[in-house]
Parts: sequence; C-alpha cells; structure tokens
Amino acid sequence: MKDPKIDRMIVDMALYQCLECGKCTASCPRRLSGKEYSPRLLAHKVICEREDEAYIEDSVWECLTCGMCRERCPSGVDFNRFIMEMRKLLAETKGLKGYRAHDGAIHSWMRMMTAPHLRQNRLDWLDDRIKTAASGEVAFFAGCAPYFNVFFAGIEVDTLGIARDSIRLLNFLDIKPVLLPNERCCGHDLLWSGDVENFEALCRLNYSSFKDAGVKEIIVSCPECFQVLSEHMPRVIPEFDIRVTLLVDLLQQEMKMGSMSFRPLKRKATYQDPCRLGRMLNRYAGPRELLGLIPEMELKEMENSERGALCCGNCGFINCDAFSKQIQVQRLKEAQATGADLLVTACPKCMIHLTCTIRDPLMQGRKIKMEIRDLVSILADQME
Amino acid sequence: MEPVRILGICCNWSPFACYNAAGMTGMTMPANFQLIRVMCIGRINQALILRAFEFGADGVILLECTDEDCRYGPGPDVGHENVHRVRRLLHLLGIRQERLVERTFGAHQKEELVRTLWDFAGEITTLGPLMSRDGGKREAKKR
Repeated sequence: MKDPKIDRMIVDMALYQCLECGKCTASCPRRLSGKEYSPRLLAHKVICEREDEAYIEDSVWECLTCGMCRERCPSGVDFNRFIMEMRKLLAETKGLKGYRAHDGAIHSWMRMMTAPHLRQNRLDWLDDRIKTAASGEVAFFAGCAPYFNVFFAGIEVDTLGIARDSIRLLNFLDIKPVLLPNERCCGHDLLWSGDVENFEALCRLNYSSFKDAGVKEIIVSCPECFQVLSEHMPRVIPEFDIRVTLLVDLLQQEMKMGSMSFRPLKRKATYQDPCRLGRMLNRYAGPRELLGLIPEMELKEMENSERGALCCGNCGFINCDAFSKQIQVQRLKEAQATGADLLVTACPKCMIHLTCTIRDPLMQGRKIKMEIRDLVSILADQME
Repeated sequence: MEPVRILGICCNWSPFACYNAAGMTGMTMPANFQLIRVMCIGRINQALILRAFEFGADGVILLECTDEDCRYGPGPDVGHENVHRVRRLLHLLGIRQERLVERTFGAHQKEELVRTLWDFAGEITTLGPLMSRDGGKREAKKR
C-alpha cells in the first residue's frame, strides 16, 4: 500500500478535496442495505491510514461502482475511477480478491475469449426475421448476449432477444448491420474486476476484427459495451477511429425527425435507469422520450429515479451477496409501488439481476409480479 | 506437439470405488490424466467445468454414478444439466463438444472405467491441445 501510484490517484481523483461530509456513505446503496462499507472512510483510510490494508482492500472490492457517491459528492471526488484504478493496482499486486458471482464462470469465458485463434459459433441465432449484411461499414455489436442467453437460461432471461430486437429496429430504419462472427466480449467486467491484461487483449482483438471487416461505425445497445467501446477502448488503442453509436441515441435522433411511430400499448410501465447509461453517460431523457412515444402507455417514475436511481444490485459480477439481493428487492418494491406491471430497463445486466431476484424462490421478491423487459424489445414490438 | 491434459471429475462413490479398485489391481491409467474427487457430481456447477478449460484442460470427463445409484438423489441429473449447458457455451466459444463428456459407472465396473479413460485420452490426443489455453494463465499464477 506504499505504492506511489496511490498518491497519484489521490491527487488525480480529487480525494484531497473530500470535505468528510459523509454524503457518499449516506447515499451508498450498499451501505443502506446494511453492509459495513463506507466510501468516506475508505477515502480517509487511503489518505491517512494506509497501513490498514485489510480494510482498504476489502472496501475496494465491495463497491458496486454504481456512481451514486460521485453523483452526491459536493467536491467532485471521482470515486468510480478511483475504485477502478485501485482494483487494477490490487489485482496486479495482490491478486483478484472479491467473490466472483457464479463462481467466476462469466469472467472465465471472457478470459477464454482472449485466445487469438478462437473460432466462435456465435451467430447461430440469426434467422430470416432479421436482415443483416455480410459486409458493410455499419456493424452491430452483440457482445456477450449469446453467452448470457445460455448461461442464464435457468432464470429465463432472453438477452438474445435484445440483440434481435435491436436489429429489427435497425432494419426498420433501413440499416442492415454487419454481425461479426468473431467479435469478443467488450471486456467491461474484466476491466471493473481489475484484470487489465485480458481486458486490453480483448480490446485489441475486437479492434482488429472491426478493422478486418472494414467497419466504420458500430451500433451498440448495451450501455456497458457502449461505455467501454467509446471511452476505454480508445485509451487502450490510441489510433481507434471507429464511430461508436448508442442505439438509444440513434433512435432518439430518428424520433426527432419524425420517422417513427408506434402502436398503442395499454400498460403502466416504470423505467430503471442503468448506472452506466444514467449517471455515467448522462442519458436520462432519451429512453423516457422514446417510451413516451408509445400511445396509451403510462410511464410512472419510481421513488428513486434518474440521478438518484438505485443500482440493480451488482456490477461486473463481483461480490453478489445477500446485500445485493436486498438492494434488488428494494428496487423491485419501488417499481411495484408505482402501480406498474412492466419494468423497463435499458441494460441486459439490470434485466439479469432483477429477474434473478424475481425468480428466486426464497426471496421476498416472490410476491412481486412484474414483467421485466428491455427498452429496445418494447419499441421493436410496438413499431408500426 | 504439446501433450494434452485431461481432467476427470469423479464422484466419491461408485466411480471412485472403480478407480480405487483399478489402482489396487495395478491397471495402468493414461499418464496425462488428473483426477479431482468430489463427494457427488451434483456438487459441481457450470463454472467449475468451464474453469477447467480456462485453466488449461484439453478435455474434461465427468465420472458419475448411474441415475438410480446416486447416494444423494439428484446428483447425476445435475451433472447432465451442467454438461448440457456447458457444452452449449463451449459450442459458442468454438470448442468442440467432444472435449466434455460424462460417463456413468456402477461400483463393479473398474475395467469399463479404465477403458473409458483410455478411449477419452485417445480422442483428445487426436483432437490435439486446445487453442484457448492461454486465457487463464495470469489468474492461475496469482493463486
């Protein structure tokens, strides 16, 4: 913990600016669910009690990286980046701690994808209902969707449905995207679990497969993939020159041009802001405007929404525990309290985590009857 | 060519009794075969099988009791389910599904078990080492 890199981080992430007001801890969903975890104390220990290595190490792996503390911080401490950099450093020097959910199966296939000679069979799900091109300049990035679909078959999460519906929407806008047969995971979960080496390997492999296919623009529907491709990948590959477009942004532009209309859907819905899309990428209005276009649908806001939206309980499949479940149950109860029977989210991970709680036979969540669907699936189904 | 590495995940009851008996009678096993003994094949999950490949196994064989023979009840069913799911994941990763197999044994079938292991070792040797072997190295080093 005497690493000079930590001193650098304290300065870069503005930790010295901490006023010790405690708003971060008071708003941290992990803390509010009862876990002994305090971002404020972590900042304090890193600055002046760095000998307490055990505390610092545990806390660094405990964070959900939902960005609530950064949102509330009056002095602009960049806590998210601090956690990411600390995880990179700790993984490098002390090895990856933190319990990996599903016994690390998810990180495992992500690491296996770093093999350069991999020949994936990831496009078996394509059929005649959606139109894709064999080559072209616009690609759609499906990421881990085929993998999650298999792995989470037990809780019936249809992540491939999101990819399929995204392409249906693109077809509607006269775009026939290319789907690369050998694209890899974007590496989000490896990055947030500190595994820089494999993350960078994935970035380079993905970049070369985009380049080999002559792709100039990538359309992404998952906010995590979008964040990685647009923000972190150019840091790894300085010559990165591919345009990365978020599907929600594209749809919002089209909507403003008036090229989309939807069939009515008579349901009460509520919207879960994913941390990556909301607090990190600042897209609050887009999804709501798009949902607002569907006639007869009533959009109700949850008690904590937009900037104050509660995390779905886990990020990067690290440290999922009873407290994560607690957060998920609370979120589902908030959704139920709005009177809605349809929970719309824009991130496949939110969908996986919240569905996991709804389907858990031992959870209080069993009393909650709610359909969880992705924004693009709803839009694709109601499209005229 | 690099030699292949084969991992057997073995139930403590019938298959391990076979393995033990085979060892006692001095039957030879493939040299590149390593065995992990678990209390029941129902104890393992998708992650353990997948991670075996990540950490450098070229073939994984699950040695189970027969369905009606399980000491705990659902063991072999869990095994079948896991193999089915992991095979689909391996298929996505472009890893041939023959690299993961499950075989059931009664407590008296030591000859069958040894023959199965030799057959499996032969098949994996024909398929050769797995391309995606490098993946897990970094994490394995830290442990």
